[in-house]
Amino acid sequence: MNWTCEQTEARLSDYLDGLLQPVEQSAFNHHVNTCEKCAPLVAGVAHALGGLYALEPVEAPAQLEDAILTATLGAPSWRNLRRWLRSLQSPRFVYSMASVAATFLVILTASGFSFSKPKLADLRPATIYRNTNRQVHLVYAHSVKFVSDLRVVYEIQTRLNENDQNPPTREQSAPKNSPDKQPGRTDNTNPSAPKQQNRADEVGRNLRIFAAQFPVLNGSIGKRRTP
Amino acid sequence: MEQDAQLVQQCLQGDGSAWEELVRRHSRRIFNICYRFTGNRTESQDLSQDVFLRVYRTLGSYRSAHGGFATWMTSVTRNLLIDHYRRTKRDRVTDSLDDKMPVVENKESAGRRPDEQALLGELSGQVQSALTRLSPELREAVILRDLQQLEYSEIQQVLQVPEGTVKSRINRGRIELARILQQMGVRPS
Repeated sequence: MNWTCEQTEARLSDYLDGLLQPVEQSAFNHHVNTCEKCAPLVAGVAHALGGLYALEPVEAPAQLEDAILTATLGAPSWRNLRRWLRSLQSPRFVYSMASVAATFLVILTASGFSFSKPKLADLRPATIYRNTNRQVHLVYAHSVKFVSDLRVVYEIQTRLNENDQNPPTREQSAPKNSPDKQPGRTDNTNPSAPKQQNRADEVGRNLRIFAAQFPVLNGSIGKRRTP
Repeated sequence: MEQDAQLVQQCLQGDGSAWEELVRRHSRRIFNICYRFTGNRTESQDLSQDVFLRVYRTLGSYRSAHGGFATWMTSVTRNLLIDHYRRTKRDRVTDSLDDKMPVVENKESAGRRPDEQALLGELSGQVQSALTRLSPELREAVILRDLQQLEYSEIQQVLQVPEGTVKSRINRGRIELARILQQMGVRPS
């Protein structure tokens, strides 16, 4: 294969990058070894290429990144503020804030704070504590009363069911005085504690009210309850 | 590559930290391209900043389907470098005349100033000096191929010229660089 100086110059990069075909490579080598003009050219270019490859990457100035970020995103303080604001969008933070807000809302509502006519005095910790404490006690008292009423109703319903199943005779239903039993008591228990006695009296009172509201039952419950 | 595209998407959604990550990943490479092209650190820093500013403003025009983000960014850098080269051409005519003087002095006074000779004798410094004397179109081709190690197809994408032209420019750039080094007195041992 005949190889010329023009071909050497044109294909020099292919030779250096190892892209020549074996036949071309052989012809190239033969020509360069015998040509006084091409030999220094190839050596010079290989040397320059070695110099290029030997160039180390240059370290960028330390302030470059900061300068770029300042030019694009703004000053560091503003960037930090934006980053902080962005972090507020995280679901965890939103849930936390929502639960904190709900807690404050419940406390304010419980303390009797008027949202329609807000007063600064209502927001004092002592006022909030006093009002909350009062509200809690009121709610507790209402709950206790509600449970108590439920128990009474349940007891009455049970008695009514018993009566429907086994209607009592007049003799059975008539009250009997017994020295062992205390007034107002229909069972054989003998509560010793005053609280239990009060509770029993209260049940008795409720039964009497109930019997008064339902005259049909007067014959069964009313008479039985009244000594 | 995919991570860059993902970061770009996050940037477009207003995520500043994604942009910070992109800057961190590419600032050194862009600075190196600028420095090898201009041979001046201060100019390179300003140009790198301009590159990122332009990229930030035109981030919405980047399409990952058309190529990697690094290639796109290199393309932006190359365009800015060429603009800068044309803008400062007049200043450089004077500079290039001044630049030639120390080289001649250096060759003539090789034995008299050993410290200066040793400094200038470093191959990397000489190659950098020779690189800045190449014509811009040959310089950019050599920098992208031999310093940034880009493939021919990527260089073709950056320079927007056919692959044959890319190969031709790289070849001519290397030969021209060898000639300049020879003129500077740097010869293969």
